[in-house]
Amino acid sequence: MNTLTNRYLAATLRSVPAQRRDEIATELRASIDDMIEGRTDGGADPATAEREVLTELGNPDVLAARYADRRLQLIGPTYYLLWLRLLKLLLSFIPALVGTIVTVVEAAEGKGFGAIGPGIVAAIQVAVQIAFWLTLTFAIIERTQTAVDLPEWTVDQLPDAPAHRRIPLADTIASVVMLVLTIGYLPFQHYNSWVHETDGGNIPILDPALWSFWLPALIVVLVASVIFEVVKYRIGRWTWALFGTKLLLDLAFTVPVAWLALSDRLLNPALAERLSWVAEADNRHSLGLAIAVGAVAIVVWDLVDTARKTRQQTTS
Amino acid sequence: MVSEDVLRTHLQELRRGTVVVASLVALRRPDYGYALLQRLTDHGFPVDANTLYPLLRRLEDQGLLTSEWNTEENRPRKFYRTSDEGESMLSRLLDDLATVQASIAGLIQGVNR
Repeated sequence: MNTLTNRYLAATLRSVPAQRRDEIATELRASIDDMIEGRTDGGADPATAEREVLTELGNPDVLAARYADRRLQLIGPTYYLLWLRLLKLLLSFIPALVGTIVTVVEAAEGKGFGAIGPGIVAAIQVAVQIAFWLTLTFAIIERTQTAVDLPEWTVDQLPDAPAHRRIPLADTIASVVMLVLTIGYLPFQHYNSWVHETDGGNIPILDPALWSFWLPALIVVLVASVIFEVVKYRIGRWTWALFGTKLLLDLAFTVPVAWLALSDRLLNPALAERLSWVAEADNRHSLGLAIAVGAVAIVVWDLVDTARKTRQQTTS
Repeated sequence: MVSEDVLRTHLQELRRGTVVVASLVALRRPDYGYALLQRLTDHGFPVDANTLYPLLRRLEDQGLLTSEWNTEENRPRKFYRTSDEGESMLSRLLDDLATVQASIAGLIQGVNR
């Protein structure tokens, strides 16, 4: 009776290809017996010798994998990086997208803040599904040993060296928030300023006639400035090209504002009906001049400061 | 002070390929698994049994070894022998081993000079 050896053989042969099972069984049993005999000849107790030999041979699943030339890994080095890249790519936007759609649909059905819960649940479920099916696909590819033609790596795939970041994220966020608030204020003041007509209606601060061209044009410039801030952050430091773009954007905003203010077309004429101070032409002229001078002063100071930073960051 | 773990990994890497060479040389005289294990150990090639037994089958599958069952003794044993193909493969491997040896020797001399 050789129960331990029998159990070991059964455990090993379980996962060895069937057509060679008998042959491997005979050979392995003989080898185990030889090894045990080698120890008992040296005076060891047979039961102890058997235990030692089987311990030396180790985990039967590992031994079987070696016999079958099978890989003990879910996804090997050949496919691991591709798997990781696809996983990151898919998880980076699909769960958020599905979650948002579900939230919007639930909200449209009148659930209010209760729509957020189902959205989060849907996003998590989608993320788990993506991870599972992608990993399963790669595990199968790994095991079928089909040669998948992976594109060869070339030097052209190298990403740009990380720019030494001289533009703090906090500055970029602050700039973008300010720009977005400004964009939002332009339509907001039209419907909700602090000045009201006698019957309680709203008087816009800026001349509503400007909506035909100048205000939309200024909004376009402001949106372009938001994009500029993001691009600037990605580049990571000031360059003269960036400085030139900022100069153009600043001029595109400030020159129309200053000109409109000086030619007394910026403020709503209807304000004069409610604020007697604005009704006097001299006062309106002074106010326009103050707005124009203030806007120009801010831009000039900003451009001088930016030019100084650009010179520092392009020379060092 | 050399870390024992690091040393062990490097020795393992260095020895890995030599087990095949040693087995092909040793099996110019036919032998069965356990006896081969003993012979290799005696000649300074300590091999784990769970590495050697599957390796012999793999080399047989690759046609580098032939095998024959011997049922005359008290238990049936599978005797392996280096095939002609194994022999020509072996001479290539030995040439390469000699080249590595010569390169290392040359490198050592060059550094010491």
